[in-house]
Amino acid sequence: MFGYIVRRLFVMIPTLLAISAISFFIIQLPPGDFLTTLINEQLSRGEGADMGNIERLRQLYGLDRPLIEQYFIWLGNALRGDFGYSFEYELPVTTVVGDRMFLTVVLTFATTLFIWIVAFPIGIYAATHQYSAGDYALTFIGFLGFAVPKFLLGLVLMYLFNVWFGTDIGGLMDRQYIDQPMSWAKFVSVLEHLLTPVIVIGTAGTAAMIRRLRANLLDELQKQYYITALAKGLPRRRALLKYPLRSALNPFIADIGSILPDLISGATIVSVVLNLQTTGPLLLSALQSQDMFLAGSFLLWLALLTVIGVLISDLLLAMLDPRIRLGGGAVK
Amino acid sequence: MMLGRRLAGGLAGRFARPAVFVAALMMVWGGNATAQTYGEAPMLAERVAAGTLPPVEERLPENPATIDPLSAGTYGGQIEWLAGRARDIRIMNVYGYARLVGYDAELNLVADILESYEVEGGRIFTFHLRPGLRWSDGEPFTTEAFRYEWFDVQQNEDLRPYGPDFRLLVEGELPEVEIIDDYTVRYSWSQPNPRLIPALAGARPLYLYAPGHYLQQYHQAYADPDTLQAAVESAEVQDWTVLHLRRGNLYSATNPELPVLQPWVNTTAPPSERFQFVRNPFYHRVDNEGRQLPYIDTVYVNISDSSLIAAQTGTGGSDLQARHIRIDDYAFLAQGAETNDYYIDLWDTVLGSEIALYPNLTAADPVWRELMRDVRFRRALSMAVYRDEINEIIYFGLGRISNNTVVPSSPFWTEELATEWTQYDIDRANDLLDEIGLTEYEDGVRLLPDGRPLEIVVETAGERGQEVDALQLIADSWSRIGVALFINNSQRDVFRNRIFSGETNMSVWFGLDNGLITPSTVPTELAPVDQNWLQYPAWGQYWQAAAGAGEAPDLPWAEELVDLYSEWLVTYDEDRKIEIVSRMLEIHADQVTSIGLIQSIPQPIVVANRLHNVPVEAVYSWDPGAHFGRYRTDTFWVDE
Repeated sequence: MFGYIVRRLFVMIPTLLAISAISFFIIQLPPGDFLTTLINEQLSRGEGADMGNIERLRQLYGLDRPLIEQYFIWLGNALRGDFGYSFEYELPVTTVVGDRMFLTVVLTFATTLFIWIVAFPIGIYAATHQYSAGDYALTFIGFLGFAVPKFLLGLVLMYLFNVWFGTDIGGLMDRQYIDQPMSWAKFVSVLEHLLTPVIVIGTAGTAAMIRRLRANLLDELQKQYYITALAKGLPRRRALLKYPLRSALNPFIADIGSILPDLISGATIVSVVLNLQTTGPLLLSALQSQDMFLAGSFLLWLALLTVIGVLISDLLLAMLDPRIRLGGGAVK
Repeated sequence: MMLGRRLAGGLAGRFARPAVFVAALMMVWGGNATAQTYGEAPMLAERVAAGTLPPVEERLPENPATIDPLSAGTYGGQIEWLAGRARDIRIMNVYGYARLVGYDAELNLVADILESYEVEGGRIFTFHLRPGLRWSDGEPFTTEAFRYEWFDVQQNEDLRPYGPDFRLLVEGELPEVEIIDDYTVRYSWSQPNPRLIPALAGARPLYLYAPGHYLQQYHQAYADPDTLQAAVESAEVQDWTVLHLRRGNLYSATNPELPVLQPWVNTTAPPSERFQFVRNPFYHRVDNEGRQLPYIDTVYVNISDSSLIAAQTGTGGSDLQARHIRIDDYAFLAQGAETNDYYIDLWDTVLGSEIALYPNLTAADPVWRELMRDVRFRRALSMAVYRDEINEIIYFGLGRISNNTVVPSSPFWTEELATEWTQYDIDRANDLLDEIGLTEYEDGVRLLPDGRPLEIVVETAGERGQEVDALQLIADSWSRIGVALFINNSQRDVFRNRIFSGETNMSVWFGLDNGLITPSTVPTELAPVDQNWLQYPAWGQYWQAAAGAGEAPDLPWAEELVDLYSEWLVTYDEDRKIEIVSRMLEIHADQVTSIGLIQSIPQPIVVANRLHNVPVEAVYSWDPGAHFGRYRTDTFWVDE
């Protein structure tokens, strides 16, 4: 087990390097750089661009150096925990991102919880009552949730909540609580504002999870061990919960792997539409304005969290399901 | 439009000598000032009573700037508006619009932070400060602020290795700066500098002053090296110059510690989603009853997403909103007006044309270049655009048919400038094209002299759907004169680069950024002196580089434009300057240097019912105008 983890960790290093290099160069692919954006903005305002000042900024940010050099400088600093400067915010990258991390964590876990709580019972019901009216109805709703574009659902819900309950459009809390210390009133406000994004982001995930759970469970329910257990007189509920359900849980565990990267990029479009103060919109705008250290750091963390997340879910699966063996192929 | 009628007679007298006018006015008020008792906001009176703030008489300069508000307001309250991203909190310094010299609501230049100023021969500028004026931290505002900015910032080789701001240079010549006494400073050049005063009054102004008493702690020449090094490290910046740049940026409003002169001062350190701007207790303006402005205590700027701002505004999320809402949002905004207690004003806008087509007169292809340079061709294209239809279909009939020229609120506007060659006349357009010799057809499309079909590819920056809509309508009407139009959506940087290099034959973009040209506006947009003017980029490069890049203008009217522009820069005869700009505008209209379509698409302004003194009929313009700035946001007030 320990050797396996160490090996996996070593494989991560070249993967991460490759990802960081590719993402860094892709960010630079569009013509121009952040300063071009700045110049365009000044020109579109009818202000002459102060080219002397722009040239100075280009030197300060190191944008006048070759791309390769920029990459290695950035990578070297990143290894020491210095992720560089955000041009757009004129602040260190860590300050810009750190501010939004907490709400992103809250949102991601609330959404995951929502998915599990809703998908779990519905999936079991749909599998055990296959082709019943209830199954059809839930399947229909599930597909609907899967098919409706999230941003559209977001806009509609946001509008309805505004009309029905007077919730503000957008944001994760009432404005007066922004930058205020946590209090009961602020907590309630956050809960109220979380409702829309959690439902919107969770809907598609829930629908997918229901389908997977139902399919997995249906497979198990036809297997001989389950039929034998029933034939020997084990109560239906107990038989179901004890054996087939446990085997059908794998998709839930495997999903943990994708939660970590979601912390960074999670539901970007929905967050933009709903104006959530999470990291997703920050990443998008950084990519758009070629704020490259901010965008590059984001993508690096995204890659890191993805590989770690996959590792964690692999390990968890191995722990929970004895049928899965780590590095099985190698042992034989 | 009122100004337009006055152009012939009163214009020169009206605009020529603002400094003298202001000086006279100041003498009148000067007598009153000492005898007057001043009023202040309850919020500040509390602090005075508690002993944490000096009384209002000591906070105001001896001779405060007096503003006539639309109605006398009550103190207190707060308003909120929405910005599309965190950097846009700087717009508070545009709305606040305290400038050394600024435009008033009628676009006269008046001394504001300055008590008065004099200009001799357009080249010697003497500025008189208001004795007793203080920074927002209570420190005196004297010529020391000008000394610091000029000698320690603009002239410092580390801070500005590429030299001072270009607006302080006249053909490369630095000004001579004399600090005459604590309240008098003089800038002089050997030639006129017509850019200076408009730059001081700009929406994004040229700052001649800096709070040296605060910034010295970040300046190598003043600070203790170890303390400075520690500050550089804790801010995670490269060196002290970056730190000085960031901490000392008077425009960006990102440093809550920085002393300023604006009506409201940012108190929130970024990053944040909500910025609080609180009244400046040392602000230099009073209303006509001697009560210190601003009326409103606090302004909140909420950071949102630009695409969501219309929705948030329509549900009562903003008390004063113009940014990121457009005329297309009008119906939605009107729907929410009653329940959310706001109203909508429609302000005039100042783009020369909402959409304009730019034939590239310096195109690389010789055949196209010759054709584009033929004025008959450009006139024919212009006359074959059915502008009424575009106005009805795309702008609900709200716009006004016009060339790409000044707007009616500019004193230079005339009916002829707006409508020359804009009448929809297919027959005349056809005649003109025949006259050029484009008489061969193939499948209903005329042929170029070398036998290729006359197919114009119009390139767009791919950012505005309305451009494509308009082009599709134009393609229909151009097909009636045997000209085919194809649309190529591009991306902004690619779009510009292709135009600069002459690969693009025709492009579509906004019209003149500033159609509100006044006698003090530098007519840069009217002359081929910048490669960003899309109809003749190579000529612009030639002027800008002045060393072989680009091409010299070789058409008589273009040469005349360059001559007129050069003359404008060095003339200090106001009447002659007005003649020059009028002539430049005539050339553009007559030569159809760009094909303008529709002008004056109104800008919706959402105003909470409880907010007063926001003018109903006004012009929404960036520079000159500073959006709400010249309507004096410090006189806006709210019901409690």
